[in-house]
Amino acid sequence: MASGTIALVGNPNSGKTTFFNALTGSNQHVGNWPGVTVEKKEGSFKFEGEKYHVVDLPGTYSLGAFSEDEVVARNFILTGNPDVIIDVVDASNIERNLYLTTQLLEMGKKVVIALNMVDEAEKRNIDFDIDGLSKKLGIPVIPTIATKGKGIKDIVKAAIDLMNRNMAAENPVQYGETIEHHIRNIERLLAGKELPYPTRWTALKIIEGDQEILNNIKQSPHLDQNLTDYIEKFHQDHRNEDLELEIIDAKYSFANKAVDGTIKRPAEETVTITDKIDRIFTNKYLGIPIFAGIMLIVFQLTFVLGEEILGGLAADLIDGLGGLLAMFLVYLGAPGLFTSFMIDGVINGVGAVVEFVPLILVLYLLLSFLEDSGYMARAAYVWDDLMRRLGLQGKAFISLIIGFGCNVPGIMSARTLDNKKDRMITTLITPFMSCGAKLPIYSIFIAAFFSRHGGLILFSLYAFGILVGLIMAKIFSKTLFKGESSYFIMELPPYRIPTLRNVLRNMWDNVYGFLKRAGTVIFVVITLLWVLAVLPVSVEPYSQLSILGRIGAFIAPIFAPAGFGSWQESVALFAGIPAKEAVVGTLGMLYAGQYVEQGAILVNAVKLQFTSLTALSYMVMTLLYTPCIATLSVVGKETNSLKWPLFMALYTFALGWLAAVAIFQVGSLLGFS
Amino acid sequence: MLRGILRIISRDGYISRSQLAKELNILKDIVDEGIMQLLRRGYLLEENTGEGCATFCVKCPFARNCSKEIVKTFKISAKGERYLKNR
Repeated sequence: MASGTIALVGNPNSGKTTFFNALTGSNQHVGNWPGVTVEKKEGSFKFEGEKYHVVDLPGTYSLGAFSEDEVVARNFILTGNPDVIIDVVDASNIERNLYLTTQLLEMGKKVVIALNMVDEAEKRNIDFDIDGLSKKLGIPVIPTIATKGKGIKDIVKAAIDLMNRNMAAENPVQYGETIEHHIRNIERLLAGKELPYPTRWTALKIIEGDQEILNNIKQSPHLDQNLTDYIEKFHQDHRNEDLELEIIDAKYSFANKAVDGTIKRPAEETVTITDKIDRIFTNKYLGIPIFAGIMLIVFQLTFVLGEEILGGLAADLIDGLGGLLAMFLVYLGAPGLFTSFMIDGVINGVGAVVEFVPLILVLYLLLSFLEDSGYMARAAYVWDDLMRRLGLQGKAFISLIIGFGCNVPGIMSARTLDNKKDRMITTLITPFMSCGAKLPIYSIFIAAFFSRHGGLILFSLYAFGILVGLIMAKIFSKTLFKGESSYFIMELPPYRIPTLRNVLRNMWDNVYGFLKRAGTVIFVVITLLWVLAVLPVSVEPYSQLSILGRIGAFIAPIFAPAGFGSWQESVALFAGIPAKEAVVGTLGMLYAGQYVEQGAILVNAVKLQFTSLTALSYMVMTLLYTPCIATLSVVGKETNSLKWPLFMALYTFALGWLAAVAIFQVGSLLGFS
Repeated sequence: MLRGILRIISRDGYISRSQLAKELNILKDIVDEGIMQLLRRGYLLEENTGEGCATFCVKCPFARNCSKEIVKTFKISAKGERYLKNR
């Protein structure tokens, strides 16, 4: 039979579990609290020949009714009748931990504070006046280091001393006149009633509107009409007065007074590194130019590292694999058609997509680095003002940033925007954000014609996509979707050095998505197009007389004003509607079949088919024209209509075509080629 | 303290713990606690930007990457707005 029950209470990470282990050793067992999934840890220890029962309550910051943990801890303290409570307080975070202590004291319980991890606090140059703190709180405070077993005996002794004392609970916190007046009134109405809770605490919970306590009181057989009427009238009269916040503030104020003069800690840095960086990075005038500068560096590095250095290695590898495969198939005596499929379709088609993995890898490595450092939150913040002026809320920029990875999640994230106007406009402009699948297309053309300024051109394409998106947002907000945008608040977390794990995982997730699409959607599209390119068998494969050639020749005149009217480029654009990566895959397959003497290097073939000007108009077309099927289907799902995906498919196509034609025609007039 | 936190958040349009701690002369941990109290009591609402894909594109190759939350965003609720106006 235990001589008493001790409850262990504390904030999460206060070292409470270590404390429990130090106290009970191996004499413990774990179960569940009845009716909930919260773990119940109990144990026992002996002190001066007497056995004591210990209950380790769930770690919690307060004793409200907001979580199972809180309810379990609160109910045990109120109805489990612990003889004494040891409140384990993290000595480095004492101000925060004392909020819970204040609540325990208001419950009228016998409490001893274990000021735990004092060694950690001392390392942070925090000084304690333990006696002073104990006096101000009116309860014993014992320094402990649970990990080393230090102070455990002292606190056990203090707890048992208190257990055996007949100590009346005091009211530690005094609230404002209004609240104290109502506490007194409710206390009077509760007088003589057999409630399982202390009267003042119950009155306070009634004022706070604690639903669990209100329900328990309403079900009590001792409830009378006067109390019911008072509670109802009180909540009617004070429903807009936010007394609950006054109560919380008063508790913090009590905790602050307790530490004032008893805890001395080195002053927190008033101007942190984050503050210093943010003064520049989130400056009203410098924010967007800095963002542009950072993105320019990102694209320059992406192009140099991902395309010129690693990209060449990947291309050589796939080319080499193609050569080996071709030799192997000849050696096996494989049928010509099968060899053609494997080499032209799989290696030159799907392989043309896969060789851009290094590019994707470098881009998302850099973007992940920015994201994990906390910069992306600043990017969204600096765009907020501009977005508002364009009739959108700044949060829409987050959807656009997500759209740079893949438009589908970008559009999906728009569902969290508050009003329909913001959701619809964000949805309609997200496809102008160049997703990872468009990167290989730009890369091929940049490598062929603009390699000296690769990063700048890549950056300009992304920037042009954002610009078109913003212009369209303004047009939509003035025409299709009028009204006010809702307001939101962003959290600007402190800058931090990105963790290798986060950055690599984020990067891999993007590369994985790219590879998975190459192995599924792209493979299917390329296979289908290959079949159409080699049929009928009576004609030259990959020629204009093939089924694919005829389809391409039929649609090619549409693009002639934009300067790229050959059937191959037209077919490739349409192949990009199932998935944008298929544009490169299709060009790879068709050019490999056509320019056999050029080898599998797609860049060389592109140089023969395009000029700088037509390459530019082709890139702009692919940037702006109809998004992929997955994007259109998600628009249909999110808007629950066919109208909006159809509208998106058509308006983006028209916009892409107009931009491409304008570039080619104006460029030609100015003498560019 | 809680009113101070809400007032500064409303004024600045963003949440910076160091800025709040500096202006209110409290520790950053207490700022965290204050924000948590405002969230729990419905004066401040946390929005979730990363839940989009959970119900739809399980098979999407990018599903692993799209449920992340790039920026944490909040909103002052009607209750919070009323509280600021009343004071």
